[in-house]
Amino acid sequence: MRLWCSLLLLALTVPVAAAQDYHLQPRQIAADTWLLEGSRDNFDKTNGGNIVNTGFIVTDAGVVVIDTGPSRHYGQAMRQAIASVTSQPIVLVLLTHHHPDHVLGNQAFADVPIAALDGTQKLLAEQGNAMAENMYRLVGDWMRGTEVLLPTETVAAGERQVGNHRLRLLALSGHTGADLAILDERSGVLFAGDLVFYQRALTTPNSPGLEVWLKDLDTLQALPWKLIVPGHGPVASDAAPFAQMRDYLGWLDGLLRGSAAKGLDMNEVIRAPIAARFDGVNLSRYELIRSVSHLYPRYEQQALPLR
Amino acid sequence: MWWNSVLLALLLTSAAHASPGKDPMPSVMWQFYQQKMLGDKPFVFDDKVVLQAPPFAEDSRQVPIQVDARAYAGQVEKIIAWAELNPIPRIFSFEPGPQVQPLLAIRIRVEQATPIRAAVLTKDGVWHVGSAWVEAAGGGCTAPSVVRAQEGWEERLGQIHAARFIHGNDSRLRLRVDHPMDNGMVGGVPEFYLDQAQLRDEQGQVLANIELFPAVAENPVISLEVQGHDQARLWLRDNSGNEFEGEF
Repeated sequence: MRLWCSLLLLALTVPVAAAQDYHLQPRQIAADTWLLEGSRDNFDKTNGGNIVNTGFIVTDAGVVVIDTGPSRHYGQAMRQAIASVTSQPIVLVLLTHHHPDHVLGNQAFADVPIAALDGTQKLLAEQGNAMAENMYRLVGDWMRGTEVLLPTETVAAGERQVGNHRLRLLALSGHTGADLAILDERSGVLFAGDLVFYQRALTTPNSPGLEVWLKDLDTLQALPWKLIVPGHGPVASDAAPFAQMRDYLGWLDGLLRGSAAKGLDMNEVIRAPIAARFDGVNLSRYELIRSVSHLYPRYEQQALPLR
Repeated sequence: MWWNSVLLALLLTSAAHASPGKDPMPSVMWQFYQQKMLGDKPFVFDDKVVLQAPPFAEDSRQVPIQVDARAYAGQVEKIIAWAELNPIPRIFSFEPGPQVQPLLAIRIRVEQATPIRAAVLTKDGVWHVGSAWVEAAGGGCTAPSVVRAQEGWEERLGQIHAARFIHGNDSRLRLRVDHPMDNGMVGGVPEFYLDQAQLRDEQGQVLANIELFPAVAENPVISLEVQGHDQARLWLRDNSGNEFEGEF
């Protein structure tokens, strides 16, 4: 009887545990540089929120982690993945911005300095709990035990030497108002955070405006990069992600401006045709619905003069 | 003989009030709202009443809905809309006159995922019900006011931003009015919301009547459509008696 019970228990627990493995596979993309590439989908209960690119740089003075993923469980899995390729200790975590898929793994790095821009710290303090709550709704049990852990260190734009790697930190704002991009000057790898999405529709919940974002793209593209790591989507060694971002932002801006000038309401805009050249951009309809909610009121305000 | 006539009459009545069809929504509240909103008049679920909403509420405090009953142009007496699972379900009651299209877009608050309904009463006394489902994280009805957190909002109270857009033979009238639309569900803030609106022509003749409820979002944005390209005005009043008027 006891044996049967144990077997039954085993049968019940094993599939759950198996289903909740992120299967993180670090992939080396440059000397000392590793990527954990997430899917291009939306958050759901099968991917556990692993829709994001995180990475790490193994310097001779320890490991620099870039973003911690969507959950405590992901953060723990990321630490194991790092330990599988290096015995170096982790010495620094850099957060590119405050969105939940990039920072909710922080708890797994509580013993390490977690650094972010001042604006990121403020936005996470303000919005973190609501975003975490929404993540529980979207991905469920994968989030178990996840809580917001705020950054412990503030960084600003400038150079930062970690062991044999000199990192150039850029304080930009187009995606969330506080966006950190990291250029590893030794390898030429540019961790662009969510200032660059590639083959996956960009998201706009905190964007100060698409024109600000376009300027940030100019700044990034002018850097001496060799490889771009977007926040979402595949890495690239050419400028294709920049071209796609500019094209998409320009199209979105034109659609919102044109719709407001025609007097359309939000439901008409979210059903507008999406240019065929963006067929390969995953989730463009879904993100258009979200972007209309975030951005259209500003375009409407320009089309509706004060009476 | 008498009995036969009664039977015949009964048969005819039930034929005229043919089956309302299957509810397109997974609703647990339909019967309650049918009785409360539609009374004993016959109704049909009708996809010619186009009720549009986003599939999910990105912001539960500002969810756009649009009702288009132009398939029944000229026959519409009244359109009422509500969100079934809201603590304050009613959104608006709209009586378009002959020059006004039976079309209205507005933004609402939702407290949780909910079916939205728009019921169109046609002159033959039948309610035509359009439906939509909005997925939502919710909390829109009980979230603190965004307007009240902005400095100087009282000076801007009732400011109207409006424009007229030519849509073929019709004019699209769009208006935003600055108002917190307090629904009484946020601690310490009593109900304070726009409850009456009238679309008027240049001479002041009423073109359409609109009753608003505090399910309508803060800083309401309203779109209407009228025949022709003449100027029009929207008059609004809140439950404190403040009156506002904007010109298109």
